[in-house]
Amino acid sequence: MISLTTNTGGLKLESPAILASGILDENGYTMKRILDEGAGAVVTKSIGTEERNGYFSPVVAPEGSYLINAMGLPNPGIDFFRDEINIALKSGKPIIGSIFASNTDDFLKLALKMQDYGVSAVELNLSCPHVQGFGSEVGSDPVLVKDIVKNLKGTLKIPVWSKLSPNVTSISEIARASSESDALVLINTVRAMAIDVESKRPVLTNVYGGLSGKAIKPVGLRCVYEARKECDIDIIGVGGIYNYRDALEYIMAGASAFQIGTALMEYGRKVFGDIAMDLESYLKKNNVANIKELVGVAVQ
Amino acid sequence: MEHIEVKRKKVDTPTVASLYFEWDARVLPGQFIMVWVPGLGEVPMSLSKTGKEKCITVKAYGESTGKLAKTEVGELITLRGPYGKPFKKSGGDILLIGGGSGMASLRPLINRRSTGIIASRTPEELLFSEEFNADKRIEVTEDGRKGIKGIVLDGMDMVNPEDFSMIYVCGPERMLKAVYDKIKDKNVNAQFSLERSMKCGIGLCDSCSVNGYQVCVDGPVFDMNQLRDMTEFGTSKLLASGKRVKI
Repeated sequence: MISLTTNTGGLKLESPAILASGILDENGYTMKRILDEGAGAVVTKSIGTEERNGYFSPVVAPEGSYLINAMGLPNPGIDFFRDEINIALKSGKPIIGSIFASNTDDFLKLALKMQDYGVSAVELNLSCPHVQGFGSEVGSDPVLVKDIVKNLKGTLKIPVWSKLSPNVTSISEIARASSESDALVLINTVRAMAIDVESKRPVLTNVYGGLSGKAIKPVGLRCVYEARKECDIDIIGVGGIYNYRDALEYIMAGASAFQIGTALMEYGRKVFGDIAMDLESYLKKNNVANIKELVGVAVQ
Repeated sequence: MEHIEVKRKKVDTPTVASLYFEWDARVLPGQFIMVWVPGLGEVPMSLSKTGKEKCITVKAYGESTGKLAKTEVGELITLRGPYGKPFKKSGGDILLIGGGSGMASLRPLINRRSTGIIASRTPEELLFSEEFNADKRIEVTEDGRKGIKGIVLDGMDMVNPEDFSMIYVCGPERMLKAVYDKIKDKNVNAQFSLERSMKCGIGLCDSCSVNGYQVCVDGPVFDMNQLRDMTEFGTSKLLASGKRVKI
């Protein structure tokens, strides 16, 4: 019997295909639909302590094989997110609450509320590349990262995932700093920009944004591979996964599950079910009983 | 991102201007584009003309739409798209119901067999009314200075919805919901074009979602069957921050 069932980051997933944070995950009904239509789990939009509108548009610069976005961490604030989680939980599948903050205390407050709301794990946004004081500015400080993870692990009953940035000199150093987490999520978007030559100005209102999509798959793979060699911890791969072959590359580099975001721009919500089906066919054809057997097989 | 020159311009009402341009893309009635006003923002706009010559009809209500409406012939507009699912075509007699600037996205459907219910607050804001045959034109104004005094529903009392092979509706969501409720138990076919605040336009950001469907890619056009199960339709939506509010 072929199986895609995966144990990763302290959770058991029916499918290793997870919705990445920031995409179609601020409305509870949308998260529920994505789960109902085949995702193994969803990660919510990153939620902070206060309501934020995010940046004025343009917030995206889409091109054929990539997307640059600077949404600006829009979120209703943790207190108003309870209702959305409640709606999404009706799917019966795992919800992972993504949170962002600038210090350990706020991370802890947010994580405890998420736990109280009934999420299965929290994902720490240590990697958003376009908002001052948050995300990668926190995640590039190994001492702070270590403190945040240690405190959350010591207090929470649910698993803690750390989503890391590729915009650092050494991914291994940050991976070590967050190695008390239940999983590393690699990678967030790559800091980038676009310029419109007619109006002679940056396209994104925020100037800088995060690059995602096909273009960043090789960077994500490299980070997963390096982290796999560095520490013995579950890794969830993300960055440019559009089909089962992309997913397999991440798995063979050492990821035990993977997240999908920008591919929705091309394939829509059905991408989760399609990739799962193609993975099953691949396993069957290659006489592999469980996808777990392929994790890290390419690591030398 | 494409840059297209405005070929002609028509001021339709004191606050509404139509910008005409030639653009090679194939666009169908009901689809929309994202128009960028550099420095001010990006605005989703449905096309009010979809042949070789295309048109956007801009209502100036904010800074970015105000600047866009002031675009002159020979100047460039910057856009991406087209996006979204179009209206499904229908033969026979059709009914077009447009509230406010909603008539802009219905305009490409106007033909000799279309009846229009055109509703606005004041006579000056009645949009594209003159493009309907005089005997197939039902004008409704809230101030009652032209046509019927009242709202869209009052205009609908002038026709039997079951006489039409298809009803097309566009306007503010509360109006759409009122029209939907009025015809939902009748033997009619109808398509509604939803307006929700959009950020990305490409099905990623979740700003415009209704019960898990993205208005920008699954819509903006939805039929009666799709709307039947949408508990968020006409009741709640998310603000720019993602905070849920009542409509």
